[in-house]
Amino acid sequence: MTRALPLIAALVLCVVAVLVARCRAARAARSLAASCVACLAAIYVVAQLLAPHVAPELVALGDGSAVADQGWQASVPVIQLVVALLVVSFAPVATHAPRTLGVILASFAFSLALVACDDALLIALFWSAGTVVVGWEVRRLDRVCGSDCARPFFLYQGLALIALVVGTVAFALGAAGLGAIAWLLAIAIREAALPLHGWLPAIADRVPLGLLVAFLAPQPGVYAQLVVLQDITGGRLAEAFAIVAASTSVAAAGIGLVQVSARRAAVWLVISQTALIAFGLENVSVVGRAGAILAWHVMALATSGFLMTLAAIEARRGALSLVAASGCFARTPRMATAFLLLGLASVSLPLTLGFAAEDLLVQGTVQSYPVLGLAVIVATALNGIQVLRCFFALFTGTHVHSGEMDLNRREFAAMTVVLGILLFGGMAPRLFVPTPAVQNVPALRSH
Amino acid sequence: MTLLDSILDLLVVATIALPAAACVLLALCAWFGVALSERRVASLVAVAFFGATVCALSSIVVLALLGRGAHVLRLGSWFAVADYSFDWCLLADRLSLPFASFVAGLTGLIAAFSRRYLHREQGFLRFYLLLALFGAASEVVVLAASLDQVFFGWELVGLASALLIAFFHERPKPVEHGFRAYVTYRICDVGLLGALVFLHHTSHASFEQAEPWFALAAAPTNDVATLGALLLLLASMGKSAQVPLGGWLPRAMEGPTPSSAIFYGAISIHLGPYLLLRAGPLFLQSPLASWSLIGVGAVTAMHATFVGRVQTDIKSVLAYASMTQVGLIFVEIGFGFHYVPLVHICGHAAVRSLEILRSPSLLHDQRHLEQAVGRQVARVPLHVDRLVPKALRPWLYRHALERGAFDVVLRSFVKRVLYGLRRLDALDRRLTRVLLRRSDDPSVVAPTGLQASHFAADVERDSDASRSEEQSS
Repeated sequence: MTRALPLIAALVLCVVAVLVARCRAARAARSLAASCVACLAAIYVVAQLLAPHVAPELVALGDGSAVADQGWQASVPVIQLVVALLVVSFAPVATHAPRTLGVILASFAFSLALVACDDALLIALFWSAGTVVVGWEVRRLDRVCGSDCARPFFLYQGLALIALVVGTVAFALGAAGLGAIAWLLAIAIREAALPLHGWLPAIADRVPLGLLVAFLAPQPGVYAQLVVLQDITGGRLAEAFAIVAASTSVAAAGIGLVQVSARRAAVWLVISQTALIAFGLENVSVVGRAGAILAWHVMALATSGFLMTLAAIEARRGALSLVAASGCFARTPRMATAFLLLGLASVSLPLTLGFAAEDLLVQGTVQSYPVLGLAVIVATALNGIQVLRCFFALFTGTHVHSGEMDLNRREFAAMTVVLGILLFGGMAPRLFVPTPAVQNVPALRSH
Repeated sequence: MTLLDSILDLLVVATIALPAAACVLLALCAWFGVALSERRVASLVAVAFFGATVCALSSIVVLALLGRGAHVLRLGSWFAVADYSFDWCLLADRLSLPFASFVAGLTGLIAAFSRRYLHREQGFLRFYLLLALFGAASEVVVLAASLDQVFFGWELVGLASALLIAFFHERPKPVEHGFRAYVTYRICDVGLLGALVFLHHTSHASFEQAEPWFALAAAPTNDVATLGALLLLLASMGKSAQVPLGGWLPRAMEGPTPSSAIFYGAISIHLGPYLLLRAGPLFLQSPLASWSLIGVGAVTAMHATFVGRVQTDIKSVLAYASMTQVGLIFVEIGFGFHYVPLVHICGHAAVRSLEILRSPSLLHDQRHLEQAVGRQVARVPLHVDRLVPKALRPWLYRHALERGAFDVVLRSFVKRVLYGLRRLDALDRRLTRVLLRRSDDPSVVAPTGLQASHFAADVERDSDASRSEEQSS
């Protein structure tokens, strides 16, 4: 089954991406991108609310035999559009040329198309398309400014795509076990699970953060785990993946604490949090899976905001170091507050939606893996320390400043939307918790 | 349900809701840039907390009229999946209501006091916002009926504490000390979350709705009770600055005096003992956990009393005095007392917060006192010091000066862990370099500089375009 609304949104986003990439002026391109994505997101939300009543045929395409979205599937495109809005609103013109912005939007368009499908082949196709379009831009950057980031990207992501193809072919031939192993390998590379993480820290310092967020935030691996692999993986395979994910989350949280570059610290935070989601998805408890889905949404919003705020500070101050506290809170209070709240939301601060996600994740995982559940707790604690370390290093410690601006109007509006979702969700998590959980989705619908 | 029950429900909810509403209002004003006068900000917070005090005190009266020892208020499910539900459930009893009244009353007084103390301070609104957050979170901890809700408030109290220690953010030391406090809290919170999950996992066959505290008495085995109690002890040790984790407390005095008074003299530091009082049934079931509690409390009391005697600044002296008293409260709880620790907590909190509030005026007060009595005030006799055998005095003096070397031991432990992590990071980088056949170190690349040079042309083109637009307009 394919859902029509996300596909339409993806098509519109593709058109916008082309228009933005053709702009001559970087500021004009950013304005165009931000206003188009904001309108698209608003229209999408309204359409999603009205569609089941006005035009039910818009909800499902294809065989139409299956029931429409499960609850969590309906919210995924909205979250992705909000993240896209955040990225284009915060993208500094110095590092995000119109072409880069176009690629970012195209990447989000492929992600939207991906979450419109339940079919393994289509998922693999859109996953590959998203990787290729980002890889194309990474290669261009590598050529133009010699950032030496294309090699690690292509080496690892190429391997992931090969694994994806092998898995899809194996599924088609009925070798579900081999297919699952190949897909899990692709997911592990894409989610930078240890020891397949090398590409992410290697390119973290070298590509525009907006591009990195566009590649990291949608997490196609999580969607694939939920839709394609749910009924295939199990037993020892699931256990092995859960052990890898739990170890990654703790190790990444620990390694993140000794980073001196703010970018690398943030990237290790993302690796750790992503691994927690993967861990949650690989357990049999419905509670744990619901927690993982919610954590996926929270992570998409919160860590994207965290990284994009970092990009905005970097654009104002230059390269950021965590060696000593060297920021001035009074100069940029809103940016500092947003940075702190987003960081803490990603590590499950109460009053944010992350709290409900972590509660479900921990309670659910302890049922399936009591010992590994402790890893989730330790990783979350270490990541909390990391967030406050970054906050104190970047926004406190001195009264000297370089005259940097606080959030401008565009950034403020985008940030208000994101924080609004996270904080309102923190007060009324019931509205966001995926209640029908992930069950009974027939795997490999195309076969 | 009688009318009195409904009134009690409303009053208990209002005890938390009023400070929370003040916090939300101030947060919205801060985010949207709505300018509020100092008077309005202070009045809002003070009125909210005085309202909460009245509600909590009225709850005591209503509970007495109902003739019950405890009232459980179930607010319903907050979120639920399958058979698991996070329920909001508050417990109003003889332990929680006096403590809730005390918390609200003291926070209200501090809010009123701070208006003059922080007059024209740059972070005036931030201080009150964090104070309201702390007060609301403390009320959640106090009135919570289960560990899940305690964790909710506990985390927020820790965050507010760390941010207030770093209130004077332009100086590096307060920031460093705020971070240290947060690290201690966060590591010890592993104990609370671990206990929460462990007790859920072992006490119930399946996920059930939040149970009031007395369900803890039903721990299935002594081993479960012991592990659960020890995890809670770890959580309390961090929040209440017990040995060997208490090094953050004297340093936490870098924050504004009113917040130091309410956090480290009165409420935050006593939340640990309060949690232990609530978890009393677990400790009663486990002799090992009880003796551990007594041991930690006794060692802390001894250590802090000696270290406090050699401190040269008043705030450090008061910090160690707080540690001493909290250590004694731990011992009382370990021996199974229930109401004695509660009286001790309230009495100590009131006296200590007053002392900390007056500490900046110590010399001024001393001069006034001497003027009033007409002579130099006699020094406090060294009773305790005389009790120590002479042979031990030099060793003890050195021990006190070095603060028991706990900080040194902890620092060297943390250094070793960080060193190990750095080795791991270096290994990871080396492997990546080998794999990618890179000769450079990725960390030395300046991220923005590199790309800025590449995009300089775009920016220039962009500015040219805007310039031409301006000219044409």
